[in-house]
Amino acid sequence: MITVTIDGKNQPTTYPKIKTVLQLLNNLHLRVNDALIIRDGELLTPDRHLWPGDHVTVRMVVSRG
Amino acid sequence: MKCKRCGELAAVKLPSHHAGFCPSCFEGFFKKQVETAVRRHGMIGRDEKVLVAVSGGKDSLALMRVLTDLGHVVEGLHVHLGIPDSSDPVAERTRAFCAANGLTLHVLHTAEHGLAVPDVKDAVRRPVCAVCGKIKRHYFNRFAYENGFAALATGHNLDDETARLFANVLRWDPAYLGTQGPTLPGEGKFVRKIKPLYRLTEFETAAYCFLKGIDHWKAACPYSGGASFTGHKKLIADLEDRSPGQKTAFYEAFLAQGRPHFAGASRGEGQDTLYACAQCGFPSSGEVCGVCRVREQVAAHKARREAV
Repeated sequence: MITVTIDGKNQPTTYPKIKTVLQLLNNLHLRVNDALIIRDGELLTPDRHLWPGDHVTVRMVVSRG
Repeated sequence: MKCKRCGELAAVKLPSHHAGFCPSCFEGFFKKQVETAVRRHGMIGRDEKVLVAVSGGKDSLALMRVLTDLGHVVEGLHVHLGIPDSSDPVAERTRAFCAANGLTLHVLHTAEHGLAVPDVKDAVRRPVCAVCGKIKRHYFNRFAYENGFAALATGHNLDDETARLFANVLRWDPAYLGTQGPTLPGEGKFVRKIKPLYRLTEFETAAYCFLKGIDHWKAACPYSGGASFTGHKKLIADLEDRSPGQKTAFYEAFLAQGRPHFAGASRGEGQDTLYACAQCGFPSSGEVCGVCRVREQVAAHKARREAV
């Protein structure tokens, strides 16, 4: 189970079947450079594996005015 | 994925450069892009003092940090707009960043000039974002001019610039196409405007901020219905996703092959001649500049409200 928090939203979401960052991005309908994917203070590239128990933060990069 | 330069584990993947970088090599890449932009477009001369327009967001804080790291003499100006629950915490975050990094920051309160943005919003019938942008541009330029800065640097990135170019092309606006670019030369009371981050995407500035521990403001302005050109940015991002490198190619090819055709294009009848504003003395296409006219509108609106 991966727990994902999108910056600026309060409720984290859990994903039982996601195994890589790319799968997570696809699940969130995001392109590779739409968001920073952060785990334990580290940036992850799309090919990185995610493991059960991981807590990941998604930080959108587009300016919102 | 391995870092293209050193072979360590990559933290950032950049499809447009067919590369991945570890944190250390990414910083080198980022600085190199800014260095190239500054050099190729004659942005900053030796020992010139640069004013950075600092909103407190990722682009402006990254810009201040990278220009300083490259050895340029920079100071920041933050324009406090007087918006409740937003302007104070943004200014505080910006002050904290500058204090922590030993950077000089000036803060200008528009309310002290009769232009608190909530009052402006009540007084004008146009979208407040357009008027707010006009006010900020006026005071950034004015502060730079009056305090002897050679250039005014803004945090516009490649996504901002390609979206703006796309909008100008959709309208085939010759005057805007003729002046769009990373450097706008100074003239009279207009100081030189420069965009040192124009070769870097929003993703790259966001990654730079994260890796450098830059704690920037992330919330949107409460008066904004969304950033300008958001729809255009999405279209261009789709193109970039399918064919990495399109954004850079579109913009650089415009600079090299498109822009020269629009050089010197007229803004329209009576719009090309600039006069000194009768109130503030800064350039204006009419007797009184747009910002001074807004100030009059705000004062008149307040007077009407108090009379009721």
